[in-house]
Amino acid sequence: MKRRTFIQSTAAAAVGTQILGGVPLKAFSPKDLDGLVQAGDDNILIVVQLFGGNDGLNTIIPVDDDQYYAIRPAIAVQKQLAVPVVPGRLYFHPALDPAGAYNLRRMFDDGRLAVVQGIGYENPNLSHFRSTDIWLSGFNTSDPDRRLIDGWLGRYFADHLPDFPATLPDHPTAVQIGGSLSMLLQSPKGDVGIALTDPDKFFQLGQGLSPDLEAMPGDTAYEREFNFVRLVAEQSDRYSSVVKEAFDKGRNTLQYATNGFVRQMQLVARLISGGLKSKVYMVYMGGFDTHVQQQNDDLTGLHPFLLNALSTGIGQFMQDALAQGFADRVVGMTVSEFGRRPYENGSRGTDHGTSSIQFVFGNGVNAGVFGQSPDLTNFDSNGDLVYQYDYRTVYADILENWFGGSPDETKSVFDLSPNENILPLGVIKKTVSSVDAYEGRVPVHVRLAPNPVTDVAWIEWSQTTPAMAKVDIYDGTGRFVERVWHGAVDPGSVRLPISVTASGSYLCAITVNGARTVVPFTVIK
Amino acid sequence: MNRRELFSSLARSGRRESMTVPTDRLVLVGAEQHTGPLTLADVHHIIRRLGVGATVAQANAFVGKTADEVVESLLGPNETQHPDPPGAWVDAATENPLGADLQTRNAIESSWYANHASLSGWWVRQLARDLTATEKLVLFWSNHWTTEFSFDETVSIPQTLYRQMKVLRTNRMGDLRDLALEMTVDNAMVWYLGGHFNQVGKPNENYARELMELFLTGIGWYTEGDVREAARVLTGWRASRYNDEPAPQGIYETWFDAAAHDTGAKTVLGVTIPGRTKDNNTAFQVKMEEVYELIKIIVRQRPEAVSRFIAEKFYRFYVYSSPVDGDAEFISDVARIFREADFNIRALMKAIFTSAHFFDAANRGVQIKTPLEFVCGLERQLGVNVPTAAEWLTRMDQTVLDPPTVAGWPGYRSWISTNTYPVRRQLASDMLSKVMSNANLYNLFSSFDTSSKDAFLDAVLTHFLPVPVSQARRENYLTILSQTERQLNYTWAQVAGNEEAAARALRDVLGAIFRAPDFQLC
Repeated sequence: MKRRTFIQSTAAAAVGTQILGGVPLKAFSPKDLDGLVQAGDDNILIVVQLFGGNDGLNTIIPVDDDQYYAIRPAIAVQKQLAVPVVPGRLYFHPALDPAGAYNLRRMFDDGRLAVVQGIGYENPNLSHFRSTDIWLSGFNTSDPDRRLIDGWLGRYFADHLPDFPATLPDHPTAVQIGGSLSMLLQSPKGDVGIALTDPDKFFQLGQGLSPDLEAMPGDTAYEREFNFVRLVAEQSDRYSSVVKEAFDKGRNTLQYATNGFVRQMQLVARLISGGLKSKVYMVYMGGFDTHVQQQNDDLTGLHPFLLNALSTGIGQFMQDALAQGFADRVVGMTVSEFGRRPYENGSRGTDHGTSSIQFVFGNGVNAGVFGQSPDLTNFDSNGDLVYQYDYRTVYADILENWFGGSPDETKSVFDLSPNENILPLGVIKKTVSSVDAYEGRVPVHVRLAPNPVTDVAWIEWSQTTPAMAKVDIYDGTGRFVERVWHGAVDPGSVRLPISVTASGSYLCAITVNGARTVVPFTVIK
Repeated sequence: MNRRELFSSLARSGRRESMTVPTDRLVLVGAEQHTGPLTLADVHHIIRRLGVGATVAQANAFVGKTADEVVESLLGPNETQHPDPPGAWVDAATENPLGADLQTRNAIESSWYANHASLSGWWVRQLARDLTATEKLVLFWSNHWTTEFSFDETVSIPQTLYRQMKVLRTNRMGDLRDLALEMTVDNAMVWYLGGHFNQVGKPNENYARELMELFLTGIGWYTEGDVREAARVLTGWRASRYNDEPAPQGIYETWFDAAAHDTGAKTVLGVTIPGRTKDNNTAFQVKMEEVYELIKIIVRQRPEAVSRFIAEKFYRFYVYSSPVDGDAEFISDVARIFREADFNIRALMKAIFTSAHFFDAANRGVQIKTPLEFVCGLERQLGVNVPTAAEWLTRMDQTVLDPPTVAGWPGYRSWISTNTYPVRRQLASDMLSKVMSNANLYNLFSSFDTSSKDAFLDAVLTHFLPVPVSQARRENYLTILSQTERQLNYTWAQVAGNEEAAARALRDVLGAIFRAPDFQLC
């Protein structure tokens, strides 16, 4: 995987002279309630793909675990060099805290970053390609013959766009910076996004490309491929001017670092600033397949270089977003197909592993650390880490809490059977849709303490009216564990004890009058 | 990005409708031989797929022959001459940039990029000129046993890539196991997938995993334990790269470091490769008794998986990139023939390309041209070189010999995006408006049947498009040709007899054809 790709090809999104840009937040007003409007309308998601498999153990450093130093004699980060973000609890690789720039560490301090530990899935696959497909499709299938060909976001939006693809929306639903369009943004009905490298060139070349031929009526392979090319031609034509307009109108308020990935983030900021109404942006960084020479003794080298770029790119983007006032509308998350094997190999590197860490950022996140430090004494049968949270629990957060989707839509996007469940992890703050607010389906604010819990934890909330309430416990993979309460509760404050027998990561789902709140908690026995 | 073409048995559960590829693609014929003489359209079909396209003269020369004759002719003999090298640099030593001063280091790195550009331009020209199946088959294998030119913070030195292409060319149509053996110890590969760092006690699993997952069986036919054991088998191979490094086998060759090899017994897929003593821990013995044995074990223990994996890879590259349930039977038949021929690649190719299935109408115009097929095909169709072809290819996301990942280019629809489609249109339009002179166009014009406007149009359409077009489209193209007649007040014969008028008519009609979505298909 090459990292120069984007250094060469991404447009240098120079700071423009335009003073104004951006789309105002849709004001809440009762006349919006006639149906389609949802609170998620202005919300934007940035997906940061880290291809190659990011080494979670050398990203968040388990400095208090001697076993970490035993299994990584050459490449471990010593405690005195790790960044004590939360002393005693959370330590970053120093490359995540580059001097000068607004960065992931400072975002954590400011309540704009969530760190999810132990993100992964059942029956881990150690192939880059299969595991990437599992992450992007949102389907975790143990059947190797089941081909994965479209993405969870592609499917979600294709179902939400009226009359797609016969009618294309005015703005591209999703924009991928660089490369060819990711599976993430493909759907059975066609691509819901565009691939974009340089808005000026796109404008110059894309104009007038609409085919002067109608779509083919039939469904033979020839006709399907014909129609596929035709749709891309139409998207090229239509969106080249929209993108160019946003690019010209948009601006950046700071000098971004000269790095391919950082430049991608800069371009995204400029497009949002200029009023492009895309819901999803996808950016990409390769090079994480660190089998060889991952890190030098002085903590320089390939992996630190990548972590530095990641932290700088997200930090500078956020700083720009804050300055321009669109920070509240953006959340982002990293995805990487797997972590590395706990034991380092003989080449100062690490081979393919399983679960890893994930960053979720933005003003809309519940900042903090989710899950426990990985257990380095209790590996799976291959000597790899055991995961704590199913990767789709974060996706469910995005769908339900950020885009305003329903639990039913979550089930449908992930093709879950009736007795399967993927619950939002709670990493995104619930944004209440205007319809729900109007009808009083407002989730309650829940406190759960102590967390982590060894014996009994108490959940508390209050409400102003009598309500039907339901409290369920699920494990980190969304599997149902037990029902704590189901019945009427009086107005006022409610306090319930919960206890779980086995150690692990859990989710507590509290549903009051049909509105669900999910709180993750950890049990240590 | 769907990132690669996975092996698929195609016998999926299909429980979710949107997950399955549509199954209405009905190809009713299978591996039985295509019979009868080939038509002009048949000839174009096979040459576009096995190679990059035909000139008018080349296509006409094959009309009336049988599929078997044409395939034999296109495959050519197994032993082939290597084309003359791109330059003297292929044998030039490389200085070690590590530890060199900045200026020297920059000079060394620049030479890598310059030599890669030289190699790329040279190879595009080979592909475009090659009237046989050879160079495209080298492309197929180099995208299967992938090596990236640039990756992480390093490169594959172009000198080693040039040598790797010779390995691929030499072994392209023989025994799959021989190809696998030579690629496993290939210098560029040993460097690219970490074999160079693979040593006893501290195995590096990178190549061992890909040997099974990407090169021979596909996912699901081995355990993580097999990966670890195979990695132990592969310990000890070292790539000579720089002029200050040991090169006991010569410059840019692979050598064997006996001290780094794990001499213990290993068990892969249930078969044990015995341990060895110091005395027989030599390059030749380890290569034959362990590396070759490892490959033979994989093929012997997983014959069905290997044969289907390779057969399907060929199918996706050469026939249709998104096979459906209905194609599985054909792929199975080809795999069986491949096994029966003891994994002889030529036999597999003959089974595909002489089959009734391959020539069926349902397999025409269903492939999205790869950038290399698009650029070299355009060159072949127009009879004029594409200037700076390698640079155009990079803009279309296919930097020559530099795929994005070890799985190669993902192919299929990933070739066409809002990033790359406009570039293809720009190139096609530039060829007509900027590159081709009236004389070039008249030359092409005169190679078609010009006896009537209708005959001329039909010849042009067969030459440039994969499938006959609708009557309405045909009428539209005829109207475009008539415009030239009308504007100049010429008869068709007068247009055909006048360079400027003929060039104008051809330019206009090709402009319209190049705008059509099916110009991207073959």
